[in-house]
Amino acid sequence: MTTQDRVERKKRNEMLTNLRKQHPERVKISQAKLKEQRSIRKTLQQVLKTKPHTIPQLAEATGLPAHQVLWYISIMKKYGKVVETGLDEDYEYYLYGLTRETE
Amino acid sequence: MKSDKIHVDTLVVGGGIAGMQASLDLANQGHQVALVEHSPSIGGMMIGLSKVFPTLDCCSCITTPKMAATAHHENIQLLTYCEVQSVTRNDDGFSVQVIQKPRYVIEDNCTGCRSCELVCPLDLPDVENEFGRTAHRVIYVPFTTAVPQKAIIDIDSCIFCGKCIKACPADCIDFTQTPQTLRVEARTIILATGFKVTPYDAKKEYGAGNLRNVIDAMMMERLLAPTGPYGRVLRPSDGKLPDSIAYVQCAGSRDETLGVPYCSRVCCMYAIKQAMLISGALPMADVTIYYMDIRTFGKGYEQFYQNAKAMGIEFVKGKVGRIVEDEDQNPIVRVELIDDNSRVAENKHDLVVLSVGMLPGYDTQPIYDVATAKDGFVQIPDSNVAPTVTTQEGIFATGTATGPMDIVDSIITAGAVAAEASAYMHLHSGSPAAPAAD
Amino acid sequence: MPEQSDKSNPPEKELGLAPDPSPEEEPRIGVYVCNCGGNIGDVVNCKQVAEALRNIPNVVTSHSNMFMCSDPGQKLITDDIKEKGINRVVIGACSIFLHEQTFRQAVERAGLNPYLYYHVGLREQDSWVHYNHPEDATEKAIRLMLAGVAKARKMEPLEPVRLQAEKHALVIGGGVAGLRTALDIARSGLKVTLVEKSHFLGGRVAQWERVFPTGETARTLLQRLLEQVQAEPDITIHTGAKVVKTKGYVGNFQIHIRQQPRGIKADFDAVDQAIAACPVEIPDEFNYGLKTRKAIYQPYSGCYPAGPVVDWEHCTHCEKCLEFSHNHDINLDDTPIEFDINVGAVAVATGFRPYEPFPGEMGYGKFPEVITLPQLERLLAADGPTGGKLEWNGRSVRSLAMIHCVGSRQVDDVHQPQPDGQVNNYCSRVCCTATLNAANIIHERLPETRIYDVYTDIRTYGRGHEDYYTLASKNGVTFLRYFVEDIPEVYPAEKGSYYSMLVKVKDQLTWGEEIELPVDLVVLAVGMMPNPVDDLIGLFNITPGNDRFLLEVHPKLSPVETSVVGIVLAGTAQGPMNIQESCTAAAAAASKVVVLLGRGQVEMEPYVAQIDIERCQGNGDCVRVCPQEDAIKLETFSKNGTSFQRAVVTPANCNGCGVCVSTCSHRAIDVLGWRLDDYEAMVDAITAEIPVLEGVPA
Ligand SMILES: Cc1cc2nc3c(=O)[nH]c(=O)nc-3n(C[C@H](O)[C@H](O)[C@H](O)COP(=O)(O)OP(=O)(O)OC[C@H]3O[C@@H](n4cnc5c(N)ncnc54)[C@H](O)[C@@H]3O)c2cc1C
Ligand SMILES: Cc1cc2nc3c(=O)[nH]c(=O)nc-3n(C[C@H](O)[C@H](O)[C@H](O)COP(=O)(O)OP(=O)(O)OC[C@H]3O[C@@H](n4cnc5c(N)ncnc54)[C@H](O)[C@@H]3O)c2cc1C
Ligand code: SF4
Ligand code: SF4
Repeated sequence: MTTQDRVERKKRNEMLTNLRKQHPERVKISQAKLKEQRSIRKTLQQVLKTKPHTIPQLAEATGLPAHQVLWYISIMKKYGKVVETGLDEDYEYYLYGLTRETE
Repeated sequence: MKSDKIHVDTLVVGGGIAGMQASLDLANQGHQVALVEHSPSIGGMMIGLSKVFPTLDCCSCITTPKMAATAHHENIQLLTYCEVQSVTRNDDGFSVQVIQKPRYVIEDNCTGCRSCELVCPLDLPDVENEFGRTAHRVIYVPFTTAVPQKAIIDIDSCIFCGKCIKACPADCIDFTQTPQTLRVEARTIILATGFKVTPYDAKKEYGAGNLRNVIDAMMMERLLAPTGPYGRVLRPSDGKLPDSIAYVQCAGSRDETLGVPYCSRVCCMYAIKQAMLISGALPMADVTIYYMDIRTFGKGYEQFYQNAKAMGIEFVKGKVGRIVEDEDQNPIVRVELIDDNSRVAENKHDLVVLSVGMLPGYDTQPIYDVATAKDGFVQIPDSNVAPTVTTQEGIFATGTATGPMDIVDSIITAGAVAAEASAYMHLHSGSPAAPAAD
Repeated sequence: MPEQSDKSNPPEKELGLAPDPSPEEEPRIGVYVCNCGGNIGDVVNCKQVAEALRNIPNVVTSHSNMFMCSDPGQKLITDDIKEKGINRVVIGACSIFLHEQTFRQAVERAGLNPYLYYHVGLREQDSWVHYNHPEDATEKAIRLMLAGVAKARKMEPLEPVRLQAEKHALVIGGGVAGLRTALDIARSGLKVTLVEKSHFLGGRVAQWERVFPTGETARTLLQRLLEQVQAEPDITIHTGAKVVKTKGYVGNFQIHIRQQPRGIKADFDAVDQAIAACPVEIPDEFNYGLKTRKAIYQPYSGCYPAGPVVDWEHCTHCEKCLEFSHNHDINLDDTPIEFDINVGAVAVATGFRPYEPFPGEMGYGKFPEVITLPQLERLLAADGPTGGKLEWNGRSVRSLAMIHCVGSRQVDDVHQPQPDGQVNNYCSRVCCTATLNAANIIHERLPETRIYDVYTDIRTYGRGHEDYYTLASKNGVTFLRYFVEDIPEVYPAEKGSYYSMLVKVKDQLTWGEEIELPVDLVVLAVGMMPNPVDDLIGLFNITPGNDRFLLEVHPKLSPVETSVVGIVLAGTAQGPMNIQESCTAAAAAASKVVVLLGRGQVEMEPYVAQIDIERCQGNGDCVRVCPQEDAIKLETFSKNGTSFQRAVVTPANCNGCGVCVSTCSHRAIDVLGWRLDDYEAMVDAITAEIPVLEGVPA
């Protein structure tokens, strides 16, 4: 890293710290949200590591409401963490599994 | 860079299909056009649809090329994520003050590569495009086919972690941006501010929005779109593939109690369309449409309806009085069957879709001083003969800003408004509206 | 004017024109396979197709994408052109009709000649037809794309044929749609000629009483429009006129018009006496036969152009009217005149006619008490046969039934087809609101009269239309609903009954109960059919749809354009519409005309025949088979003192059909952009071994 890079980085970090200071309430709320999202994502990933699950199965395994699980899974799918692996035996629900990269 | 003073022949407000088509028709006649859109992308409601009646073209196939043509036309300037603040009349037409809202991303440099979005840690419900059924990050490109393909930051949710700054290869994150004022001088204005759907939670008889598996038709469009939140039709409560789907027609239209006495004119057709698409996507599913009158009045529309009947979609004439849900969140529709001795039935479905109607997208009264009629849409005093002329001289209106209509009709009124504006400018300047041969 | 061979040029120069079909630069081909949002991608494995094309000679890059036509999709192409030096583009996607222009523009934006892009149809020609065989469809896609690449190698830059355009348009039909079109074209600075076959402007609207949704009288509306048209100096109007012959193409149509004489001078002052003197009496079409008129007539007072005309078909030349004619005010020996005009574009606004029920259909033609909605409009009109009074057999109508969807929304095996074997399976969309409008007018004038409305669906869809339905309900109109399987029956009541007619309805609103309605009058809400325009269809080569109305190219992409460039549609010639919709469509049509002609120049595809003058032996087979006028001819050239004949093409007149190519035994003709060599290369590519694929995920 060149000196110039270092100076840039320092300036950037100062600016970000300042911005955080300017909007303490908003940042606090978002950080709390982030924490919650991270923990839920982690829980879901742990369950999915064992084998693909349907939404109700995930809900049961994690204790989260099914609609919330669906929300997380849709996002993880959108950003390439999760894929559909097929249907359950009753052809009612899709099974979701981790992508290779996420495993 | 956008210059802060722009001179054009026409300012078009609203970048839905009507606004885009009006801009293109005028620009192709040689007029200079500025198109103001208050969302980050043009495309309007149409870009959110799945496939469109009556031709069942994939909606993106019709909309995205129009969006690209609008963006690349040499006579059109796009002002996305902009808001008109004030309009004053002067000798040459109008002087319009426009606020460019900050994206916190340098628009000219952003390539839409999404590197920032991929590293941003926080998910936000995508309320703007997906009814919150999925999410985007705090920094995001609105959707895959957005025009312009530029990232935007939801500053209120940003934690200023700086990951995007590091990830951006074009160095275009700029937290210091503030709203900018532009001035547009235009000889004419076209209002193409579109519609919004009637709120699906307005009717407490239909669950007031509290039943997870009662959704509105616009949400169903997203479920049917290949780019939608799940990439397929799943019901929102638990991701089940629905086996039995019901449509409730006129949910939000032709209903005095909601203050919407008029017919929204597209809901019959889009419900039939969606039913057909569902039959394609879920061949085993049953689709029932509860209706009062089926209004398939357009060119080829009656055939569309007859085809749907032949496909096995069930049309039931009945008044839906109430929707409740059972312990598994299956909606139960209580319906008075008019064709069957007014017998009241309670039918269980996996998913119920409310065929919501259309409300005006924007009130043109305060800023433009353009009168609206009692239905809230732009008033057209001589609606038979001059269907795009408003109460204000030099200001014209098109598309669903002038009342409910479908895409075909929106496109036709857009052609009409271009003719009207062009003629007006020709008349009020003496200079030929069409440029001389080159 | 287009480039034409100029005989004064030294012939050697002509010989130099022979093209060099081999492209100068090494082809660097970019291949793009579109998923079409699943339309293609759900069947064809687009990734695999793109992969298979990757290692083909000359292919520099190969991608698949969700939507090639979107902005990011187009950017992929433009970036490749700029960054990877791509100079030929092959896109496998939807239909060429949808997006050829889109992709041409993208390619051009990146600095490449737009004709260096080739479109392979993978949707209509592949995924949609082979949806049950995804693997075969994928193989077919690969073969089609390979053929595309083979063609791309041979593509050459082309320029569109540019032609001067007349800044003058023809509008056919003088109803509200035609008037609106003429007005809007003229107001944007072009000249307009309007041709109306009857002797009066205004079309059907002149016949109606009060129009929805504004509630004004039809005549005031028409008056307003006509005044604007009259005030427009750039509009020339010919009434009593028809187009009888046409020639040419967009920018340059020659139109031959025949105009019937009026037979009477405009300032003739003894109109009433002359009409009274005429002994001929025939059913008056303006009043749908509810009264008669003479062979000298004017449809209504205040019509435009004002003044009566002679009905040449029915005039017996008895000369009784001449008694009142001074200074040759009436000229019974007047003859039609014929003349030509040159226009750049044509708007067809020939309108509709009401459906005519078959004799006996719901009692029509059998019982005088059964009339149509247009006839009812005439009975309600102040200048109608009854002066606006709704009377029947000398007394006010006490009870009437109005039956919807007569001649509309018909189904096979239930309804009697038209002479062409087809039933009218479309909704006429105007009749519901028009019926309720009439019901409300009747209620206003005769509050005691009972009105039954017998419908299938009430389609008051438009802005303000639902109010007519609500008001009719408030007015006490009784609604009954029938299913198409149980069409209402109309028959006379027993002699001496209080009401003379009965209508039997199986009413779905009262659970299928059979109800007999006793009435004085039965009104059939007849639908719309297009005015017969077979002559124009033939003259202009335009097409009607299954419903017989004239057909647009695409309801969303080209909603008022026909498949013939330069010919647009306005109003009910295209399909049922109300006044507002007719005027809107008319204005949109005007807009397209202004776009086309405003620049004074039009562009046409460069796919025209081209002669290889070295090979041409001048035997003239091509000239004999060419179906176009003046497209190809033999001209005399000389070289080194000997003179000989060679074929010469006039690009503006050639439509690129290629008939000449197939007759030339010397292979001296090719259609530019589509040379015989191209076809051969494509066929070879389609039938060749296809590349083996490994490791591509299915
Ligand atoms: C569920 C559903 C399904 C449908 N399916 C079909 C179908 O299959 N086929 C069909 O033909 N039609 C269909 N329609 C109808 C179709 O969506 C509309 O006809 C069409 O989108 C109208 O286009 P518009 O441009 O008038 O309005 P909009 O699409 O609403 O565009 C208006 C634009 O203006 C912008 N805007 C608003 N106010 C302002 C302001 N003050 N300043 C700047 N910008 C502003 C908005 O952001 C928007 O981009 C459907 C409608 C619904 C609700
Ligand atoms: C009973 C009834 C009531 C109605 N009431 C209403 C109402 O209240 N409100 C409303 O909005 N709409 C109403 N309508 C609809 C309205 O009549 C039409 O929308 C309108 O007439 C369409 O105008 P147009 O110009 O397309 O066709 P037309 O009115 O049919 O005019 C076409 C013109 O073209 C001419 N023409 C035809 N062929 C040729 C040719 N080959 N060469 C030259 N000229 C030709 C014809 O002579 C005619 O003058 C009603 C319709 C009906 C049947
Ligand atoms: S080319 Fe079009 S039709 Fe094809 S996908 Fe792209 S969007 Fe759809
Ligand atoms: S508008 Fe009404 S009466 Fe006319 S065809 Fe349609 S449904 Fe029938």
